[in-house]
Amino acid sequence: MKSIKILLIILFIYFLAVLQTTFFVHFGDFFNFILILVIIWNLIEESKKISGILIAGIGGFFLDIFSNGLIGFNILLLIAISIFIKLVFVKYVRLPILGKI
Amino acid sequence: MKFSQKTFKTLIVILVIVVVIFILNIFSKNVRNFFYSVSAPIQKPLWKIGNSVSDFLGVIPWIKNSKQEFEELKNENQELLVKIAELEGFKDDIESLKNALQIGLEKDFKLVMAEIISKDISDDYILIDKGSNSGVLENMPVITEQKVILGKISKVFKNYSKVMLISNKESSFDVNLFNINDEKKDISGIVKGRENFNIFLDLVPRDKDIKQGDVIFTSKLGGIFPENLLVGEITEIKKNDIESLQEAEIKPAIDIKEVNNLFIITQY
Repeated sequence: MKSIKILLIILFIYFLAVLQTTFFVHFGDFFNFILILVIIWNLIEESKKISGILIAGIGGFFLDIFSNGLIGFNILLLIAISIFIKLVFVKYVRLPILGKI
Repeated sequence: MKFSQKTFKTLIVILVIVVVIFILNIFSKNVRNFFYSVSAPIQKPLWKIGNSVSDFLGVIPWIKNSKQEFEELKNENQELLVKIAELEGFKDDIESLKNALQIGLEKDFKLVMAEIISKDISDDYILIDKGSNSGVLENMPVITEQKVILGKISKVFKNYSKVMLISNKESSFDVNLFNINDEKKDISGIVKGRENFNIFLDLVPRDKDIKQGDVIFTSKLGGIFPENLLVGEITEIKKNDIESLQEAEIKPAIDIKEVNNLFIITQY
């Protein structure tokens, strides 16, 4: 069951990256949906859980595949962002409106 | 120095990530080609749907301004009719010259047709569906069927290639200016990319008389592109008293979002 959930998440992120580079690109490059997903996920997830970091790694990988730079740049960038959110934001800033998943 | 089990695990994970990234970069061409092959059947229709939807949404603000635009177009139409009448006189000459020189896209260049699959999210690069299997090499120019320059091949995979658009920040090439009312001007400059499909003309001496509406073509100087490919039209000139060079904003001759098919010049 857990593996199906992981597979679905990977597929979702993949389609998000494909949509970003084919469909949404016609409306401007203002939004990076994978970055938004990573930020939201890490904000609402418990600081001890690591799925937010995994999602950042997978999202970064697909962003790297569909961009022109070295593979790894977006992976490391998104992982760093999610660790930063977990360590600083979630640990020291309490947002009562955000629940736990 | 003793490591706790948690620190040891973290170090192992970091090491694994670094090794995986390193391996992925060694085989990046194969990895990318695999993902592009898997994604292409989804990407092609999505690109076309995005194109249609953005065209449709673009019509809404246009309807609001349509009355004013209609008047402007009416005036422009009358001016063009006068121009056509003038040009009609040159038609026969041009036809005979064309036959003599055998001008035509296929006759000028050896071409490979390609379709756009996707656009890079951060830079002005596009992915097209032709690669080394079709004889595509790096630095080959990419144009539309109207002989408008789009960019050059920057990376080649087996079945796909990345095209660096002329609007990419790293793109710069030599151009010549032409005015429809004057004879060919002896003015050249450099067109540089400004991202998001924007380009500008740079390094034109201040004393050179450039005007709004001047048409820009590629020059063979620099050897990046063949000459006389259409680039765009000057919309705004920027010069000041201090600088010895002037700049100008350019409206590209074609919007990449409207392009589906393009041509790679394999030989010129």
